Amino acid sequence: MIEFNTITDLVKESSGRIEAAKSTKELDEIEVEYLGRKGRLTQLLRTVGALPPEQRPLFGSRVNEAKSELEAKASDRRNRLAAEETELRIKAESIDVTLPGRLYKTGRPHILVDTMMRIKNIFIGMGYEVVESPEIESYHYNFEALNYPEEHPAMDEQMSFYVTDRDTHDAHSTYLLRTQTTASHKRVYEKRKPPFRICTMGKCYRYEAVDATHGHTFHQVDCFTVGENITFADLKGTLDHFCREMFGPDAKTRFRPDFFPFVEPGAEIAVSIGGGRWLELGGAGMIHPNELANCGMDPKIYSGFAFGLGIDRMPMIEHRIDDLRLFMEDDLRFLSQF
Amino acid sequence: MRVPVEWLNEYVETGESVEELADKLTMAGLEVEEIVSTDNEETVHSGGVPDEVDSRVMLTKVTPNRGDWLSLIGVAREVAAFTKSPVKIPQPEAPDVPPSSASEIKITIKDPDLCDRYTGVVVRNVTVKDSPAWMKNRLIRAGMRPINNIVDITNYVMLEMGQPLHAFDYSLLDGKEVIVRRADAGEKLTTLDGVERELGHDMLVIADKYRAVGLAGVMGGFDSEVKPDTKNILIESAHFNPVSIRRTSKKLGIVTESSYRFERSVDVGMADLAAKRAAELMRDLAGGEIAEGIVDLYPAKDNISKVTVRPDRVNAMLDTSLSAQEMVSLLEVYQIPATLEDEGIVVTVPTFRPDIRLEADVIEEVARAYGYENIGSTLPPAPFQGKDSDMGLFVQELRRTLMSSGMQEVLTHSLIDHNSIRIAGQEDSIFVRNQLSWETAGMRTMIAPNLLRVIVRNQATGIRDMSVYEIGKVYRWLEKDKTVTEWLSVAGAMVGNQWSSAWNLNKEAMAADFYLIKGVVENIFDRLKISDVKFERTEHPMLHPTRAAKITAGNVEIGIIGEVAPEVVNELDIKGHPYIFELSVELLKSLVPEKIIYEHLPKFPALYRHLAAVVNRDVPYGDIRRAVFEAGGAILEDMSLLDVYVGPHVSEDEQSLTLSIVFRSKERTLKDEEINAVLENIKDNLASKFKAVFRG
Repeated sequence: MIEFNTITDLVKESSGRIEAAKSTKELDEIEVEYLGRKGRLTQLLRTVGALPPEQRPLFGSRVNEAKSELEAKASDRRNRLAAEETELRIKAESIDVTLPGRLYKTGRPHILVDTMMRIKNIFIGMGYEVVESPEIESYHYNFEALNYPEEHPAMDEQMSFYVTDRDTHDAHSTYLLRTQTTASHKRVYEKRKPPFRICTMGKCYRYEAVDATHGHTFHQVDCFTVGENITFADLKGTLDHFCREMFGPDAKTRFRPDFFPFVEPGAEIAVSIGGGRWLELGGAGMIHPNELANCGMDPKIYSGFAFGLGIDRMPMIEHRIDDLRLFMEDDLRFLSQF
Repeated sequence: MRVPVEWLNEYVETGESVEELADKLTMAGLEVEEIVSTDNEETVHSGGVPDEVDSRVMLTKVTPNRGDWLSLIGVAREVAAFTKSPVKIPQPEAPDVPPSSASEIKITIKDPDLCDRYTGVVVRNVTVKDSPAWMKNRLIRAGMRPINNIVDITNYVMLEMGQPLHAFDYSLLDGKEVIVRRADAGEKLTTLDGVERELGHDMLVIADKYRAVGLAGVMGGFDSEVKPDTKNILIESAHFNPVSIRRTSKKLGIVTESSYRFERSVDVGMADLAAKRAAELMRDLAGGEIAEGIVDLYPAKDNISKVTVRPDRVNAMLDTSLSAQEMVSLLEVYQIPATLEDEGIVVTVPTFRPDIRLEADVIEEVARAYGYENIGSTLPPAPFQGKDSDMGLFVQELRRTLMSSGMQEVLTHSLIDHNSIRIAGQEDSIFVRNQLSWETAGMRTMIAPNLLRVIVRNQATGIRDMSVYEIGKVYRWLEKDKTVTEWLSVAGAMVGNQWSSAWNLNKEAMAADFYLIKGVVENIFDRLKISDVKFERTEHPMLHPTRAAKITAGNVEIGIIGEVAPEVVNELDIKGHPYIFELSVELLKSLVPEKIIYEHLPKFPALYRHLAAVVNRDVPYGDIRRAVFEAGGAILEDMSLLDVYVGPHVSEDEQSLTLSIVFRSKERTLKDEEINAVLENIKDNLASKFKAVFRG
């Protein structure tokens, strides 16, 4: 019965070593030593031939039982060891979660450019098509086509930077920096037939000294609508709607008579937010019949309205910015606030 | 204009509250910008006398079409429209002392196209002295300095009625004759301010028998000025052509209260009244004797203009439903006479409102009287598809791409100083003819110099690390067409550390360099699906001579990239090494494929091979890349650069490039032998072209 005792001894010996294993790696080695293809327990099966035939089945099943028992013990030990090892690794991998993240710089939009995009989207939503328009404009488009008589005091409000000599007196070859986005009107009329709704925006220039509320460069949006039966009430409604979209439901508008050569009746539009004081946004009015006629449209059939709004004013109102110059000085401490 | 409230009250009842008055005037189109008070100290300082009258003054901003608002009576008419009180216009008594002005002076208008009316009154035996306190104080509140009673009276009546007047020393007019004529070219006149002026034939003068004695409607002559011992006065109350006055005033650089009013509009119908008013005041305040009757030449007397207005059109424009009679009543509020005729409402334009010329002008008056606030607020019918321009949409995409590359958007001036223009080095720059200051010399030809200025300004505030971009217009002069052109450009600039926080990266890995900014540009091409882009060595005045590239796509040069030239860095005093790029947005847009067609996802696996090629350092990577593709054939899908090694394992003038090459077929899984054969081709090509040897 020596062989039977050997099984018991081997089980006892290996159980002890399994339990004492310090790592999954050591456990792997123990398993190979006893249970592997050439393991000591497996080898016992090879000695079965030395037993009397009647004892052989019993011996075989005892060896297999012993193998299962050891396998179960090893698996149990393995699970416990793995859990301990994971725990150790996790402890070793501890980090300080309060250290700052590795962050690539974030790009931000410029507040004024963003405002222009918002304005554009409101007008697009109201059926306006946006067109591009040049900033260096001929005297003809900037003044003549807009019903500015050459020697009219209205020109005093439109002091211009000229980039070519004014000597020639040819309004088409005299170039200046546009004083208003309205200069785009005739360019549009030349390419389209009414009805239409057009929006254009961008830089404008006035020959003016720079201070907190005036710059030689400013930004303007011009919208105009031409068709049959366009009324002054439509102009008011359009600007009312715009101001509510732009400044919120508390925004109130005020229209009062004003003068611009290309509109009649002409108006100034001002906005007040939540009962605050009136802030002038720009000029508006029914397109002057002379402008329509200058541009080849019959003022008996067509009517239209136009308005030009100062863009720089809008974020100033909204964010209580008190100096216009901040927009184009590009101080990153200012820009990063928006 | 400065409108003293106490003075205004002489012509109309203004009601209780000045604030309310100011508000109503503003809403009627005559903007009151501010209400101020002049205290006695100021009055005395300006030559006045302390008094107890209401010292409040409304500061109005008069639109250029409403010259009539440049007088107290004009303002009073506007006030009367809402206070419904009558306007009291002074009615001077008829002069009573012989002899008549007509026998004293002969007046001739030689150029009636430039002079609609000329009235003259002679006042004899005046005593030139100080004006009474009430007149001085009113003038001071209205912003004028008292001089002497005669000059003050002309100013006083001008402020009251809007009619500029001139007082000549009658005894100094040779031949007792006044001729209104164009100046002879080169004719000289010393004006009141003591300056001798050379006149042109397009200028109108007042002359005596021999010479010019005044610049019509702009400024009187020095010689015929009223002096302390002047006894006899000729009062001129005339009406001149506004365009002629404006041209003269601009050419000679003289703007006066008189020229300012004539340019806008003066009531031609009131010239005689103003002359009489002044004469009466000279009688009362200077002890003069008024010559009987006035000389009144009025060539334009019968020019009465009428405007016909269609009531339907008024309602259609304003979205109102007023009857024609209601419209007539609304016009009466402004003393605009209108009658109902078969053809519509016929408006007789009052001489104080020459701005009313067309139906639209009358519609505005109806709208004003009705109240803009009472007109409805509607939206026009909406059968229109609103949309952004193609360029607008493209710019949006570009902005998103640049911001996602970590760049801060900025917005800089197009009108820039001389140095910034020079830095860009373009010869076809556009310059401004009338600079406002050194900062507005001309138009930018590139945006990048502005971005460098942004860096400098921000470095001054202590910010060292920056990455900024701008999309905006640039401008050039086209000499061959003698015209201007402008297009959209996009530029970026970087300097310093590009990570907000990266305490566990080494310093070199964080700093901006050529390859970091190149990555931003490559991102643009990648996002926009623009392929076939080349970066080639170039020279540019803004860029470092050996760290500059031009960028081409297809055969089109679309921009530049590089490190900023050391001399530019020094000149602008930039800290660190800035890098820039600038591309034409219009050209970029033209390179974007119109439509993207879906490509099937690969069915077969890709196989990767690494290749370490040792080449001379002068061999550009771009050339190696092209050679790999040349030899790679159809199964070469892509390649990338993993590493560039310089060090002890290669010789001093060499570097080792580790390339990762991707092979794939659309039809089948590739076999090792196929790939090895292609790899050999690649090696041969690199070896023959660049004497490459291969490691590992």
